Amino acid sequence: MIRLRGGCVIDPANGLNGEPRDLYLHEGRIVAPPAAGARIDREIDLGGMVVMAGAIDLHTHIGGGKVNIARAMLPEDHRGDPVARGPLTRSGSGRAAPSTLITGYRYAEMGYTACFEPAVLPVNARQAHMEMGDTPIVDKGGYAMLGSDDFLLRMMAERADQGRINDYVAWTLRASQCLGIKVVNPGGISAFKFNARSLDVDQPHPYYRVTPRAVLQTLTRALHELSVPHPLHVHASNLGVPGNVDATLATMDAAEGLPIHLTHIQFHSYGTEGERRFSSAAARIADAINRQANVSADVGQIMFGQTVTASGDTMAQHRNAGHAHPNKWVCMDIECDAGCGVVPFRYRDGNFVNALQWAIGLEIFLRVTDPWRIFLTTDHPNGAPFTSYPHLIRLLMDRGFRNEKLAQIHPDAAAHSELGRLEREYSLYEIAIMTRAAPARILGLKDRGHLGVGAAADVTVYADLPDRERMFSAPEYVFKDGELVARRGGVVKVTQGATHVVRPDFDRGIEKRLREYFDRYHTIAFDNFAIADDELIDCGSRGPIVHPCVREGR
Amino acid sequence: MFRARGCTRESEARYVPTPAMSTPPAASAPQSSVGCPFCGLLCDDLTVELAAGAPIVASRGCGKSRQLFALADDGPAGARVDGREATTEIALARAAEILRAASQPLLLTAGIDVAGMRALLELADRTGAVVDHANADAMFRNLLVLQDGGWISTTLTEVRNRADLLVSAGTDIVGRFPRFFERCFGDAQAMFVDGEREAWFLGAAPAGLPDSIARRATAIAVDRARLGEIFATLRALEAGKALGVAHVAGVPRERLEVLLARMRAARYGVLAWAAADLDFPHAELAIQGMCELVKALNAKGRFAALPLGGTDGDVTAMQVSTWQSGYPLRVSFAGGAPVFDPVRYRARRMLEAGEADAVLFVSALDPACAPPASDAPTIVLGRPGTRSQQAAVFVPLATPGIHHAGHLYRTDSVVAVRLRKLADTRHLSAARALSAILRAIGDGR
Repeated sequence: MIRLRGGCVIDPANGLNGEPRDLYLHEGRIVAPPAAGARIDREIDLGGMVVMAGAIDLHTHIGGGKVNIARAMLPEDHRGDPVARGPLTRSGSGRAAPSTLITGYRYAEMGYTACFEPAVLPVNARQAHMEMGDTPIVDKGGYAMLGSDDFLLRMMAERADQGRINDYVAWTLRASQCLGIKVVNPGGISAFKFNARSLDVDQPHPYYRVTPRAVLQTLTRALHELSVPHPLHVHASNLGVPGNVDATLATMDAAEGLPIHLTHIQFHSYGTEGERRFSSAAARIADAINRQANVSADVGQIMFGQTVTASGDTMAQHRNAGHAHPNKWVCMDIECDAGCGVVPFRYRDGNFVNALQWAIGLEIFLRVTDPWRIFLTTDHPNGAPFTSYPHLIRLLMDRGFRNEKLAQIHPDAAAHSELGRLEREYSLYEIAIMTRAAPARILGLKDRGHLGVGAAADVTVYADLPDRERMFSAPEYVFKDGELVARRGGVVKVTQGATHVVRPDFDRGIEKRLREYFDRYHTIAFDNFAIADDELIDCGSRGPIVHPCVREGR
Repeated sequence: MFRARGCTRESEARYVPTPAMSTPPAASAPQSSVGCPFCGLLCDDLTVELAAGAPIVASRGCGKSRQLFALADDGPAGARVDGREATTEIALARAAEILRAASQPLLLTAGIDVAGMRALLELADRTGAVVDHANADAMFRNLLVLQDGGWISTTLTEVRNRADLLVSAGTDIVGRFPRFFERCFGDAQAMFVDGEREAWFLGAAPAGLPDSIARRATAIAVDRARLGEIFATLRALEAGKALGVAHVAGVPRERLEVLLARMRAARYGVLAWAAADLDFPHAELAIQGMCELVKALNAKGRFAALPLGGTDGDVTAMQVSTWQSGYPLRVSFAGGAPVFDPVRYRARRMLEAGEADAVLFVSALDPACAPPASDAPTIVLGRPGTRSQQAAVFVPLATPGIHHAGHLYRTDSVVAVRLRKLADTRHLSAARALSAILRAIGDGR
């Protein structure tokens, strides 16, 4: 048993805001204070330090085909950040699309203990789990992509019963060993295969005549009726297009009051005002989130510098390929399932559009009032690599620092943004909500994201430094499942994380229809599609952790 | 001297299957939906039954799968050290000694599964080795294009359901991927292709096409090595340039204009090639011409590239190397951190220059994949029948998809096919053999 003595515990799920507390870690769990005289194997004095649960990244592209295309395409990205083998750790390379092992080490070194890959193509789920299996220490999970797959679109075109669609959604979760469902440009990836170049929320798909709104309604309803904890994870229509704010608001509306999560919403918060016909719609988006309790979002903040964008949204990536820097890019149509596009990109602070994107993201963070419904992401690596989180936290917590940075961006962008007038500074308590308690809650991970008795002993301890960037870059101690894995920004033990999944019940009758579909059209056999638990372990996972599907009031 | 080029196949596999010495196991029911690891299509619809312990493809096989499934691996081939029989443990210990003593080991694979590749990379990391694949000359013809310009590509199920036009560039698709037309571009039912499909072959049309395709196939005779000129011309025409030549690479310009018009009119066209067939200097420039043409055609319509490969586990090796190191093979771990150089860390060049002082060759799929001849001591971990007479160490390997479960990546890099265990063996998997060597090396380095 380990006693962590006297740290200032910030644990919003249990209402603790910096009160000095002792924590006891035993057999991977937080346990109640033991009886007097119980054996304590190790005691660590945390006086004056800040103690939080391990951080959770609910949207980070860490594994799967498109990330590996990005890695293979960009040797120059890795050459600047070689990582040598250490006594405990393997070698690899970092930067925008780091190698898997380095991804795991660096997340753990930053105090993260769980990461979720948001774009698992069911047909490519094995690869996603293999790459996540080679991402050590942190727990992982994925969201299976639906909404441009021909099986669903055919069912919808045939006006199939919602119950059968629910069965298909549940089967997909099980077959791909995922925790949630994501939709990317609903119907749009498929429409691009039919040579459509845009698909607005109420525009019918060129072949199936199904609208994105109908896809959103069907899938939000499916997850609701299956009691899957995580709402539909939505990459909305018209990513990156000036004026896309209307599509984003329509997307929220399509949920009809059911839970919906809009991801990297910064890329969907653009107006068409001003002489450049590109403006911030952050206020409208934030107002809409503030008004609708069923809506949550992560930001997808951009940071200036070189990165690579990797997305399932072939339609948007092809549209943006002309901006590729360096000038190379890949788009891929995939298996009547989805697609992917990889476009390297360099965000420049002297570029009006990029500078405004930066300001829009920060505006959304500061204007959304409920930290339980807005999440800290850069849509790694699309907005910036995840290693920029400490810098982002400082931007949110330190107005002086923020305004200093604002003064460095393109002056017209700064002038067009209200960011400089926003006075809000996030508190440590709010940071703990948005990086721990809230992601755990919205993902349905009841024993993560908090430090109550029975929780997983995923604990991060920070020195309380006034420079929050430094503070969050290299925590003093990181415990994963009760084991000390990182100390002052360096890995001290390499462990393997588990895979978080849900398995809602469904009528196996759907498998008959799926088998016919596979036999008729697919190039892999239905019998070989689903990933069994032993195979998940072969892929590298420690094993699945199955979270219950039960609906609860908020 | 080094003679092998790529995964050089012996004219015939040397190993002659011998009947198993033990009592044949009771006949078991045929298994369906079996995955075949022996080419990049990774067909997983085979029916396989066991006869005297050896798997026999009962249906949906091709010549290659029938041959390579049926090689019995239970014959006399055991581990050897310096040509003499040895226990597996002793042979693996000797392999560890050789690698430990080497200042620049070279780990060359010609066909192992994901688990094997993971173990190989860990061993490379530990020993400071260079990692390459026997097919990498062909793979880098594509990878250099990926790293310089990129492409728009597609996958097999998309081709099957969407493609109304296939253009094959200098590639013997049937010879390399025998069931391609049956499974992806033939008479199989499709979601979105209602009329007949049309195929154009730059180079000879392959034998063995399904009738429906052969009927509508057009071949344009052209020397493969001049494909770059053909695609440069097509790109120029697509860009609206006027060309003052009547022939390009011996092909009348009008023929190319007809081809381009057909490509423009396709609802979903596919341009396929196997880089292994484009074995001429700077083939990557011809391939880049193809990829840039495909990009240009997407300004108005839909067209996609289909690079064909994946045989001998080459895409698998590239995938695992990329996610673990950041680089798609030809990586050196000598300095502690991975360094990528597709020229310097090409196995053949290193061996010719005498830059490697130990070679580990690992090949669990096709015994006709031969290790490179080399003056450096060579460790061969191979399927029984792999040429190993000159090897300092030989350890027979089990085959993924026959003797143990495993994963291999298909040609399109998207689908990792789950391979099953069908039969028992006394041999180790590549992953186990490589991990045993790693353990024997210990933490000394």
